[in-house]
Amino acid sequence: MGLADELLEDAHGLAEKGIADNRQSLMRRAISTAYYAMFHLFVEDFIEHWEFEDQRARLGRMFNHAEMRTGYKTKEKNNPTPLENELIDVITGFAQLQNDRQRADYDLGWGLVETDVRDSMRLAENVFVKWRSIRDEHIARHHLLSMFGASR
Amino acid sequence: MFTPPAVSKQEEIDAAIENVVCALGPDVVRIRYEIAEDWSRQWAIFFRIVLTDDAARRRLREVAPKVVWGLAQELDFPGLGVYPYHNFRSVSEQAMLQEPAWA
Repeated sequence: MGLADELLEDAHGLAEKGIADNRQSLMRRAISTAYYAMFHLFVEDFIEHWEFEDQRARLGRMFNHAEMRTGYKTKEKNNPTPLENELIDVITGFAQLQNDRQRADYDLGWGLVETDVRDSMRLAENVFVKWRSIRDEHIARHHLLSMFGASR
Repeated sequence: MFTPPAVSKQEEIDAAIENVVCALGPDVVRIRYEIAEDWSRQWAIFFRIVLTDDAARRRLREVAPKVVWGLAQELDFPGLGVYPYHNFRSVSEQAMLQEPAWA
C-alpha cells in the first residue's frame, strides 16, 4: 500500500472517531489528511514514471499546491465527453478538498459538523476511484503534467 | 479594484439556484452563497447548501454530486469569473449552529 492509500485510510479513521466523539480537532485532521492523501495520489502517480528512482522524492517535492489546482477546457464547451466529465469531477473534487483543507487547518471560525467531514471523505474517495479509472488516458496524463506546472 | 462579473449578475445566480432547488427538492432545502476570494486569492463563489437530514445523513453520496452538477449546468462559472466551492449541512446541524450565513 502506498502513502496515498495509507493516508486515505487514516483520514477515514480520524473522521469516524471525530464524528463519534464530536471532536473538532479530529474532524479537522480528517479533512486535512484526506487532502494530503489526494495530493500524494497525484505525486506518486507522476514520479513513478520517472526512470531514476533515486530522484523521485526530489521530483515529488517540486509539486506546488496552488499550481496543482489547474483547470481543464473541454474540446466542445457545452458537450464534454464522458471521459472529460470524469476528469472534471477529479479536478473539482481536488479543488474543493484543497480549499476545505485550508479552512480545516487555519480557519478557527469554521464550526465543523458531521456533514463537512463525510463530504470530504466522499470527495477524496471519488477522486481516488475516478483518477485510477482514467489515469492512463491521454487527457489525464496531460492534466497531471499541468498539475506539475508544465504549461500546455 | 477588479471584481468578477458574478458580482453584477446576482439575479442570474439567484434564478439558477432557484431552478436547482426546484429540481432537487425536497432533498435540497435552500442554497445560499457568497462571492469572495479563496485561500489563493482567486475569486470564488462559495455555495452553502442545506439538505434535509435524510439526504445529508443517508444519501450524501447521491445528492451532493447532483447539486454540484446542477449548479454547473445552470451557471457559467468561467464567464462569471469565479471558481465554485460547495459545502453542505443538514437542517439539524444548522439548527444547532444557527449561523446566519446559512439561514
